[in-house]
Amino acid sequence: MTEAAANEAAELDLGEEIVVAEGIHKSFNRGQKEREIHVLRGVDLKVAKGEVLVVIGPSGSGKSTLLRCLNFIAPPDAGSVTFLGHCLTGEVPRRRPAERMRYERDLRFYRTHIGMVFQHFNLFPHMTAADNVALGPTRALGLTRREAKERSLEELERVGMGEKARQYPSQLSGGQKQRVAIARALAMRPQLMLFDEATSALDPELIGGILEEMKRLAESGMTMIVVTHEMGFAREVGDRVLFMDEGVVVEEGGARDVIERPQNERTQAFLSAILS
Amino acid sequence: MVAYTFQWHVVPESAGALAHGLKLTLQLSAISFVLSLVLGLVVALCRLAPSRPLRALAYTYTQVFRALSLYVYVLFIYFGISAVFGINLGTFAAGVVALTLLNSAYMAEIYRAAIQSVDHGQREAALALGLGHTRTFSSVTFPQAGRVAVPGLVNQLVDIVKDSSIVAVIGLLDLMGTTIQLVSTERAPFELYTATAVAYIVLILAISAAAALLERRLARHVRGGGSGPSPLERMQRYRFGGRVPT
Repeated sequence: MTEAAANEAAELDLGEEIVVAEGIHKSFNRGQKEREIHVLRGVDLKVAKGEVLVVIGPSGSGKSTLLRCLNFIAPPDAGSVTFLGHCLTGEVPRRRPAERMRYERDLRFYRTHIGMVFQHFNLFPHMTAADNVALGPTRALGLTRREAKERSLEELERVGMGEKARQYPSQLSGGQKQRVAIARALAMRPQLMLFDEATSALDPELIGGILEEMKRLAESGMTMIVVTHEMGFAREVGDRVLFMDEGVVVEEGGARDVIERPQNERTQAFLSAILS
Repeated sequence: MVAYTFQWHVVPESAGALAHGLKLTLQLSAISFVLSLVLGLVVALCRLAPSRPLRALAYTYTQVFRALSLYVYVLFIYFGISAVFGINLGTFAAGVVALTLLNSAYMAEIYRAAIQSVDHGQREAALALGLGHTRTFSSVTFPQAGRVAVPGLVNQLVDIVKDSSIVAVIGLLDLMGTTIQLVSTERAPFELYTATAVAYIVLILAISAAAALLERRLARHVRGGGSGPSPLERMQRYRFGGRVPT
């Protein structure tokens, strides 16, 4: 580690941790011998308030699954996620209704405070852009229609989509869809934003705009975990980089450090392949 | 051709009775359709439920009620059940029960396929916003699945209308039952069956036309949450010479 990176790391340690994941394991098709895939094999992760953590790695390394474990869209099989003082495991207490209800409440807390942006936007095609953004605030936060609509227009305005509020997703370009998707996540006023390859499905000329949007968000102090193949963005905007391969964290450190001077062989191989 | 004297005057003379039969056919079909819509959705949800026994039960339901023809079920319910349990359902109720059981089983499969056709990312996005399972289904999954299911469900309605004629076998005086009765008294089978056939055809074509209109309306913004035009949008582009109507 260079001195600069060490200082950077020390500084980050002082910050209040927003999310801590410990020993995350996740398999798909569990219990089906031949088809079982062990995607995450004991991943630890810490993100401090205001920090931008960039997760890189070859496809199939478990980056997207890791994000989905943090908001329990894909609950981990083992390990725990601590978020703003709450701690949850993937085990749902099925027996006692009271515990079950507390679990559900915690789950809702995680999901309403963690925003997520997807590779394929996942906008709701049967709703206008404004309704897409307003859905969470009305149906999960309990805002009135009017409040949600105001907030929705405000967020759309912020990402430059104010004029498209009444359009349906099918009438928008990829870049516009992703802007609406970002507005939809931000309308929940999250404490943490997850970006799952947010620019991978975009035409090359549209990528820059979305990265710019993400950079602005980072500069505003938002805590972010970003899965991406955009190394330029990772180096410039990321505070720390996590390199994953085959379900484990192989290398971790200051963003510039890891990208410019990777220590691990696998990181070196991956970066030289992706940067060439 | 054999010597046959056409007596077309029988048709207008029987118009009153036929109209009454048509009304019964419409009632029978409408009630059965609505009940199957609801019951079919319930069965489909059970088919997709996390509980294994519930899934097995729903699977059995769809298999059993799709296995035999309506003819068998109508007779079984009206004569078989009433003989054993001493329940006299009445012809109309027996018809509704038979039509509902059979068609809800088909509809359950239509709903299931439609629900499964909704992109997984839709559910993920809704859950990530903090919506619970019920709200995710009601606000996001079902509105999209419903649009996909409409053509199949309308097909079922057409089937119900046509199949409802079978209920005449237990003596219900629907359009078909009335016709059979008139034929035996008026001795004008060709004329009466022709009139009835025309009535069924007009009815079915009207349903199809209404359905096409509904489908066009509903399909306007489905899909397109991801990238690229949907098959339907491509079709419309082709049909409307490059402009997608909005």
